[in-house]
Order: sequence, then C-alpha cells, then structure tokens
Amino acid sequence: MTLRRSIVVLGIAALLGAGGCTRAEPAAEGGGLDEVASVTKDDALHARLPEQVRAKGFLRLVTDASYAPMEYFAADGRTIIGFEPDLAVALGQVLGVRTEMVMGSFSTALDDVGAGVYDGVLSSMTDTEERRAKADFVNYLSTGTSILVQRGNPGSITELADLCGRSAATEQGTFQEEMLIRLRTECGDRGLTIRSVATNADVLVELRTGRVAAVLQDYPPASFVATDERTSAFFQLASDHQYERVLFGIAVAKDNTALRDCLRDALQRLIDSGVYADLLARWELSASRVPAAMVNGA
Amino acid sequence: MWKRRARPPVRSTSRLFATFAAASLVPVVALGALVSQDYSRAAAEQGRAQGLAQADVITQMVIAPALNSEDSPAFGSDDLSRRGLTQEQHDRMREATRLAVYNGSVQHLRLRGFSGRVIFSDDGSTSSGVPVSDPDFLAAANGEARARVITGRTQTIRVMQPMLASATGQSIGVIEVYLPYQKIADRLQAQVEHTYWRIGAGLAALYLVLALLAWWITRSLRRYAADQRHNALHDALTGLPNRTAFRTWAEARLDRAARDGGHGAVVLVDLNRFKEVNDTLGHHAGDELLRVVSQRFRSVLGREDILARLGGDEFALLLPGLDSAEAVALMERVRDRLAEETVLDGVPLSIEASFGIALYPEHGSQLQELKQRADIAMYQGKRGTVDVVVYSGEGAGHPHQWLVVQAELRHALERDELILHYQPKVGVTDGDVHALEALVRWQHPQRGLVPPGDFLPAAEHSGLIVPLTEWVLRRALADQLGWTAAGQSWAVSVNVSARNLEAPGFPALVAALLAEAGTAPQRLVLEITETALAGDVETVERAIGEVAALGVGISIDDFGAGYTSLSHLRGLPVTEIKIDRAFVKDVADDPQSRAIVRSVIALAHGLGSRVTAEGVETAEVYRWLIEAGCDEAQGYLIGRPAPWPQVAPTFAVPTVIDTERASR
Repeated sequence: MTLRRSIVVLGIAALLGAGGCTRAEPAAEGGGLDEVASVTKDDALHARLPEQVRAKGFLRLVTDASYAPMEYFAADGRTIIGFEPDLAVALGQVLGVRTEMVMGSFSTALDDVGAGVYDGVLSSMTDTEERRAKADFVNYLSTGTSILVQRGNPGSITELADLCGRSAATEQGTFQEEMLIRLRTECGDRGLTIRSVATNADVLVELRTGRVAAVLQDYPPASFVATDERTSAFFQLASDHQYERVLFGIAVAKDNTALRDCLRDALQRLIDSGVYADLLARWELSASRVPAAMVNGA
Repeated sequence: MWKRRARPPVRSTSRLFATFAAASLVPVVALGALVSQDYSRAAAEQGRAQGLAQADVITQMVIAPALNSEDSPAFGSDDLSRRGLTQEQHDRMREATRLAVYNGSVQHLRLRGFSGRVIFSDDGSTSSGVPVSDPDFLAAANGEARARVITGRTQTIRVMQPMLASATGQSIGVIEVYLPYQKIADRLQAQVEHTYWRIGAGLAALYLVLALLAWWITRSLRRYAADQRHNALHDALTGLPNRTAFRTWAEARLDRAARDGGHGAVVLVDLNRFKEVNDTLGHHAGDELLRVVSQRFRSVLGREDILARLGGDEFALLLPGLDSAEAVALMERVRDRLAEETVLDGVPLSIEASFGIALYPEHGSQLQELKQRADIAMYQGKRGTVDVVVYSGEGAGHPHQWLVVQAELRHALERDELILHYQPKVGVTDGDVHALEALVRWQHPQRGLVPPGDFLPAAEHSGLIVPLTEWVLRRALADQLGWTAAGQSWAVSVNVSARNLEAPGFPALVAALLAEAGTAPQRLVLEITETALAGDVETVERAIGEVAALGVGISIDDFGAGYTSLSHLRGLPVTEIKIDRAFVKDVADDPQSRAIVRSVIALAHGLGSRVTAEGVETAEVYRWLIEAGCDEAQGYLIGRPAPWPQVAPTFAVPTVIDTERASR
C-alpha cells in the first residue's frame, strides 16, 4: 500500500514537474578572438608608435556602425561588431595597444580625426583623392559599388543610368554620394534626386519604405543585406556589377605619419601571418582582399 | 433453503468501485491542474508580450522620432547618461508623451542612461524609477526587453527595454514604461476563468463517464462472479445445489448442530429405474424427469431443508430438527408425491425411489459418515421391500466395502472359493424331500465362511450377480447329477435376481446349461423374489415366460412381504409360491397370520401352484401347516443348509402327541 501510494505521489510530481519546468537558457557567448590571439605583439612597431598613443595605451577609431558586415551593432545595441572591429583588435594586438571602435557620424569623421578627437577613421571609408587632402589612408580592402534595390526590383534598374529621373539615397559624405552627384550631371535634364542621410541604416530605411528607388553602396554591405535572412526579403542587388572599384583605408591625420606607418606595417604583418585572410573569410569578404598593405593606394 | 441465491460480495465490489473511482480521479485532477496551470501561465505570458509590443510601438513611434532630428542625432560615442538631451529633444519628448500620459494610456515613462540616470521622465522627477541593480534594468541595458506585472492598487505592466533610437540598432539608454494592465488582466482573468470552467466541466464529464464505466464494469463483474458462484454450486439442470454446495452447507449445518446440540437427518435418495427412462425415452425425458422430481421434492420440503442433486439420479437432503419418525413421515410424503403419475413423452410413469435415512447425532456427526450410513440404509431399501429405510446398524453390510467385496468376489469366482449348501423342501404330509434349495456360501481364505448377506448385496449392486448366478446354476445342476447318481430324484431350486431376468439371453443360458447337464427342465426351479417382479415388469415377465416354456419351474419367493401385485401372478406360469417366513413363524399364535397363510394357500391352489412354507422352525407350526393344506415345508426344523451329501432323504413328520408331549 505504501509503495502504491508513493508511486501515485511520484506520478503526480512528475506531471507537475513536466508543466512547471522552465527552459534553460544557453550560456552567454564569449567574445574573444582566439585566432587573433596567435598574433604576437611587435615591440619594434610598438616603439615606433607616437609617444602620445603609447602613453594612453589605446587607439580610438571612429566608425558609423550601420554597415554590416563591415561594422554594425550587435543585438545588445551597444557592442560594435563586424570585420573592421575584428581587424582593429588584431592591429592593436600587433601594436601592443588596445583599439576602441567609437560610434560617430561618418560625414564628420575626417574632420574629427583632423581635430584630434579620434586617432583614425575605420568605417569602410573609400580612399579618394579628395579625402587625401585631409588624411592619409592605410588601405586594407578593395571593392566596388553596387546598386541595391527593393526585392523584386520594381523600378527595373540594372545599371547606373537607370537611376536618372528617379531618387536615390546615400549616406552623407560617402564616396557613393559623390558618385550620385556625378551621375546627376550625366543625367542632365532628367535629373536625379539624391537623399543623403546620416547613417547607412537610414539609407536602408529610405529604400525599404520606398522613398527612393535605389541605393548606392559598397559591394560588401549591399551583398550582405541582399543575402542575410533578416533583410533578403526586402533587398536585392540590381546586378552583379561593381562600379568604380576602389580601396578602403584607415584614415589617419596627415600629420600623424608615425601612426600611419605603424598601422600599415601592422596590417602587413597580419597579411603575412594569414590572420588578415582568416578574418576576411570569416566575414565572407575574401574577394575584396588587398595583396599588400598600402598607403594611399601605393 | 433448497435453493439459496449466492449473495453478491457487496463490500468487495464497492471497494473495487471506490478504487476505480479514486484511481481515475488522480489523473483527471492532475490533468486539470496541469492544463489550468499552463493556461494561466500562457495568459500571463500573453499579457507580458502585449506589454512588450506596446512599449515597442511607443518607443519607435513616439520616442525615437522625438529624439532624432537632423540637428541632434541620437547616436554618438557617449550614452545619454553622459550627454543628456538637448532642450529641443526634451521639448519634443514632452510634447510627444503628454497626451498619452494625460489619458492614462501610459502611466509613466522614463528614459534612462545606462548608469541609471533619469534623462527624461513624464513627471519631471529624476529620482524615481527602477534601481540600477534591478535585473530587469540590467537586462534592458544589455539589449534584452523585460516586462513584469506589478500589482499595486491596480495592475500595471512595467516594461524595461533598450532604447533603440535609430535604424542602426544602437542602444542609447533604457526605456522604462508603465502601462495600464488592469483591463488586460481583467480580460485575461475572465478568459482564464472561462477556460477553467470549461476544463472543469469537461473533466467532470470525463470523470463521470469514467465513473459510470467503472460502475458498470464492476456491476457486470459482480454479476458475472455471482453467476459463476451460483453455477459452481448449482446443478444446471434442476437448479438445485450440487454435490459441492451440499457438502459445504451440510457440513456447516452439522458443525452448528454439533456445537448447539441440534439433531436431524441426512437422507440419500436414488430413483429406481431411472436408467431405463434414459435408455428408452431418451436423455431429454430423463432430464425432464429429474426436473419433475426436484419440483415435487421442493413442494414437500420446508425452507430449512437442504436438497441437493449429487449427480445422476441421486439426491441428498439434510433435514434439520427432524427425528426418525418425522423424517420417515416426510420421506413417505415425498415418495407419495413422487409416485403421482407423470407423463413423459406420452408415457405415463410412476416414479419410485429409495430413501436411506441416517440421523444425527445418533449415527454420526460427520457428513461423510452420515452419508455412508444413509447409503447403506438406501440399499437396504433397494434390496428390500420398504422404500424408506432408517439406518439400523452395520448388519446389512458395508456398502463402502462393496468395492472390496466385489473385487474379491471376482477372484472367488475364478478360484472356486464359493460353495453351495442345500436346504431341503419336504412334502408336508409324508416328510419326503422333494427338492433342495441351493444357497451359495463363500469360503473366504481369510475370513472363513462368509454369509450370503455379506456379499450378495454387493454382487447384486454391481452386476456381478449375473456371472454368480450362472456359476450357481452350473454347480447346482452338477450337484444334482451327483445326487441323481446317488439315487435321489430331488429337484433343485436356484434363486434368481431381477437383474438376471433383465439380462438379455438368460432363458437361453438356462436352456444351454440344462442341455449341458442333460437334466430334465422339470427338475430345476427358479426362485424369484417378489421385488424382482416390481422391476422392469415387461422384460422380467417375458424372461419368466421363456424360462417357464422350457419346462423349468417358477417359484415366487418371500410371498407376502413385498409389493407384488396379484395382477403379476395372473400372467405368470407360477409353479410354486413360497410363503414368507414372517407369516409362517406366527401361525401358531396369531390368528391373522393364520388367516393370511390360509388364504395364500387357497390362492396358490386356485392358481394351480403348490405352496411352500418357509421358515418352519417348530413342530407346532409344521402340524398346523399340515392341517392348513400346505404342500411343502422348509426350515430349520426340517434341515439346515448343508452340503448335499449331508441332506437326510426323509424327514420324520412330527405327530400331535409329540407336540403335546413337547409342550408339556
């Protein structure tokens, strides 16, 4: 009788337990970069860093974190992730300093660097002649520009000329903004409405809400939103063609050649050690690699 | 009492039902609790989800636009704790939230930095709000929205979520929104209650169905068990208790009687010639007969009497509280009732039965013992002339030893252990021996000379009487050759059982034996007891007729003691009537016996038979017999049974003077 009663009690307990149990949450992910850990500090390079950088022990790099997969906010809304933050960490390890990615406005980034607010710009910035007037660029990526349209391509846009007579959006102060301005002159009478907004995220909002027919973007982020499962339902590439292949560069103040050269040499070490290729592969950017670290395209 | 309904075991049944009911209640209640728990949890989750969605909408449609403008973007390197709001942003926030707060659509709204600093609150206070250490705050600061229902005066849902001010997904702080939850909670509560009722009603119905099923099943089981029990204890044909039930119940009665000093009778009843009914009319008639018999039994018996059918045509009764006379009287009533004519398949039948009565505590207190004694009494009845016999001691032999006796008797026949003694029958007037009656004796190797009463009933009962009679006939005819050779012309009388006469081929056997011995048929007399004539009359009469046709003499033995109907005599070629010793021994003193004997003599002479008096033991009787005109006499006065060479050829007829001398 006792046995029978205890079986009944067990049965009830099991029933209640089955309903009452809660799902265990997986443990929080660790954020370390184990591969980068294989990068060793280069004391010679560290020694060549500007005195001020060595003193404070870190580099502040400004970025507009709305450019997946290059740089964007993680789900917590505070951590900036992407290829460039990873690259920044790797460079910092070679140089023996901490690197810090700071959210900032792309359009004013170069001026801020010039004013000494940040040590550099690492924000998918295209190395252009015009910008070289303000800064030197340590080139780390080579890519072209793509035309991003709404999924289904309602405007039937296949090439740049198709944008004439329509509106297009771009981020303020970007290379693509310049491209659109050039295109507008080519369009002549048909004209081209350009909407320049603060962040790349806002650019995508413009396209998503149909206020513009297309968006000019560097190929990597354009390809990302066209294939990522959260956004691919809304965006697609107008064509596979990449326009005006250019170089991305870390913008450093023109008077800070020591830092520029240190960054170039550090990048070269990463290229040599294979860490650079590994990081590219992780973010599916291998096609955009540069063969060697360069400054201002040379 | 003769038919007791097995009472259903009520207690165990209700316990079984209660177990069923309780066992099915457990899962039903558990299921109900589980479903209710899940449902109310789902309802609460739904409320929280609704709160989260609402807060999301407020954030994106109200706060984000208020914070974002061309001039003052809501992003930057510093979080809002550090930066605070511009006056313009602050005004826009106030503008955007005013109406909602006024209408109570939003109870409170605060915008806080990650450090916990209140950057904006609807009431302007900067000290209120969730502590920074609150897990919800920490979660929201780490990008995870949390909603919690707070029960105060009314129910409120508090949402803590990251302030995602722009499309970049950057979190610049934590939004703390208090939304009215009372209406939602009331509605959810109503839904939950409604669902509770429905689940409750459904489960109650389910339980009811289960309980009904359980009840129905237990009832069926109970009935089935009762039926099984009844069938196990009752005879399907008559509905009477069977052997097992009789043993159980009767033993209980006897135990009680032994304890309380009660008395009563155990009766065994065997129907006569039941087998013939079965054989000639078929089994259905036999079954019908048994049903009729049991009905008639019941009509006579009282409530306390136990009547059982032991099997075949054998019945047993336990009659508590009856003494010998009462039991006999009751059984005679039963016999009379049974004897009433029954028509089976158009054949009118009179059912006869033998009743053996054993009384307790006189004849024993154990059922087995009582039954054995009742059995003995019953077989006495079957052999004798009285149907209802009360056990009267062991004299009649032990039927339970009959099996032994039968087995031994078979050997005895093979080993020639049987011998024949002869008792002379003399002519009354001259004293000359006319015939010898062959009487079988058993020279048992251990027990010595066994009297016929000890083994003949067993032989009769088993059918062994047929080979036994054949043996006696053969031996008697052989002995007769012996005395014939010695110069005597005596006839020989052999006793024949009803079973012999019923056995097919008996007349042929007699003829064959006569031929074998070369004996004239007239020198053989077959003595038939009256009871034999009460059997299968037709077969027996036919057999007698055939034997008589051979020339063999037919003698009616023990005349007057049984139930022989005179009508039997009319059709039979009877050559001799032997008056039962019961009448003969009294003729000296009893005028009535004298009258009877005289009339039997007259009757026999009238039928053309000669008359033999049996059991003649005194000269007085002998002389009276001479006077009465009796033809022959037999008895100890004349000669005891003895081997034939010892039989005196003549008997000295006693004279009157001798008698007078003797009496003086």
